[in-house]
Amino acid sequence: MLLLLAAVPGLFWDGAADTAAALRDAGIKQVLVPPAHLADWTRVPGISAAAGDLQGAVKLLAPTVNYRIDQASASRAPWLVSNGWRFLRQPEGRFYYEAAGKQSALAAAEAFCYGANAVIHTDAAGLKPLAEMLEFLGGAGGEPMPPVADIGFIDDGSPVSGEVMNLMVRDNLLFRIISAPDPHLKLTVRLGTKEYPAADAKNPSLMAHVIRGNLTDEERSVRIYGSPVVVARLTASGGHARLHLLNYTGATRAVDGIRVRVLGQYPKHRLAAAGSPGLELLDYGVEPDATEFTLPQLKTYAVIDLSR
Amino acid sequence: MPGPYPGQVVRVHSDRSIDAASDKVNRELVKQMLASGMTALTGDARVSDAWARFISPKDVVGIKVNCSGAPKICSSPEVVAGIAENLIAVGVPAKQIYVYERFDGQLRSVGYGKYLPDGVNIQAAETSRGSVLGYDPRTYVETSFFGEEDTRSNLVWLVSQTLTKIVNVPNMKEHQAAGVTGCLKNIAYGNFSNVDRSHRFEKTNTYSFIGTLAATEPVRSRVVLNIMDGLRGVWHAGPFSEHAKFRFYPKQIMFGTDPVAMDHQLIEAIEEKRKAEGAVSLFDRSPSHVGKDNSDPNTNHFIREPGHVEYASKLGLGVFDSAKIKLKAIDL
Repeated sequence: MLLLLAAVPGLFWDGAADTAAALRDAGIKQVLVPPAHLADWTRVPGISAAAGDLQGAVKLLAPTVNYRIDQASASRAPWLVSNGWRFLRQPEGRFYYEAAGKQSALAAAEAFCYGANAVIHTDAAGLKPLAEMLEFLGGAGGEPMPPVADIGFIDDGSPVSGEVMNLMVRDNLLFRIISAPDPHLKLTVRLGTKEYPAADAKNPSLMAHVIRGNLTDEERSVRIYGSPVVVARLTASGGHARLHLLNYTGATRAVDGIRVRVLGQYPKHRLAAAGSPGLELLDYGVEPDATEFTLPQLKTYAVIDLSR
Repeated sequence: MPGPYPGQVVRVHSDRSIDAASDKVNRELVKQMLASGMTALTGDARVSDAWARFISPKDVVGIKVNCSGAPKICSSPEVVAGIAENLIAVGVPAKQIYVYERFDGQLRSVGYGKYLPDGVNIQAAETSRGSVLGYDPRTYVETSFFGEEDTRSNLVWLVSQTLTKIVNVPNMKEHQAAGVTGCLKNIAYGNFSNVDRSHRFEKTNTYSFIGTLAATEPVRSRVVLNIMDGLRGVWHAGPFSEHAKFRFYPKQIMFGTDPVAMDHQLIEAIEEKRKAEGAVSLFDRSPSHVGKDNSDPNTNHFIREPGHVEYASKLGLGVFDSAKIKLKAIDL
């Protein structure tokens, strides 16, 4: 089973070496630059440079939320632009973000929490938020642990399968891609079967609802109450679990409190929330089958270590 | 609920209670209406004795206002202040009185502080819209209506942790989804989070959800009195009040402990007004009357569910049968 490695993404910067002051002022300490600029950048004090190349890397969408309140739709759920499904489909892939301004920080956190091999290309406004997030991520790594999955998804590689995976990520339905049913998982989903007809999959949102219904909420390893814009990622091993929480509106506004339910008993916890030092979990409770707590604020990213 | 006076409703009306031309409330007359209503409900000669039946000096009392149509229509500050003054008169310290509502912006828009006795608390559950922090994480009703991710509606912290009694002060309003918003809806949707999910689509879940929440403890046992402020009213496009043409002036206040019996009176009052205005009944379920433009009194965003009041009676919250309701009407 794949372990989720805590890979801190890098900044890809295609500016000339005479822009170094802006990076240094923002707190950037490492940078990937085009090979043609590398020689100049290696002479810049205080910033470590290496050659980077976007050629062959998959371009990602800048993570955010589109509320689309001016458009009629079948759902009032906000549209999360999340790349989680791409990382799950291509765990060995190379990726890059075009993420301007504060979206750079969310992009870095997203790539980190999926253990993705990704670099971030941003603008001048994105340097400081990115530097702060990279510093936070540098201290947030822990021992590699396998991702928790409730669902096994047999991915046929089609766009429809991709969109169903996208909806599952956004709906906090934890899954991993499998090639054959795994008895350790609570549910197996293969599109095109009687349970999950290909025709129904053309409405990926509906399909995600069907999958959720078949899994049942009681069997979900993570539930998030109080916000539709927070995506969770859970890894666990033995008596230790690590919950990553991403706020997809993080570039513009914090989420003022969410209630979290994690299956399993974890009496001990440790919270690290980017941009919120000293924040504490509230109303922490361990039930016979689950652990619940309130995170009073989520700016962009938080990681919560749970243990027995 | 339904408390010591099931099936009993006192309606106090006064033409001079509010001036329709200026929208100005006659505060002194409101005080008289409160006194008259409370003594008529209980049969006590002294006003303080009437209040003392429900409230003791040790209580921490919440006055649940309704500000969803504020500032044009809401629990009038003159009525709310009058209630607070009566609570203080029976010995409740001002600091043990909380005027509360879910949404801070709506509550602030009224300006209750200018009217209330010094020391009375004014508190909203959501200082930041959508925040869960003002709600009790361990007291909730969980249900899924359409596959929404957040399936919980949590009780306001203040209610679960602090208040020992609640005086419910709704308005007389039509409601686009529930049919009417009176005692039951103010105490149900006004005390729990994440309730608008019950009316996201034309066919709503308000029919059963309102009564279910109102019957949930500790809400049910802490609401000891309902005082429906009907100085102003809304007969269409409620609970908001975006269209002045749908406001009216019933010029009355209703009193009771039975929210079902009182809301039945509300249904009749709104029906009568709609009929007079040539609008379809609250009970109309024709899809042809569902539409976006509710500036037309025969168009509504939802299929209304005024049957939620009768449903609540089946949960034991009160008396719906007209034949069993005793209405005392007083004119000042």
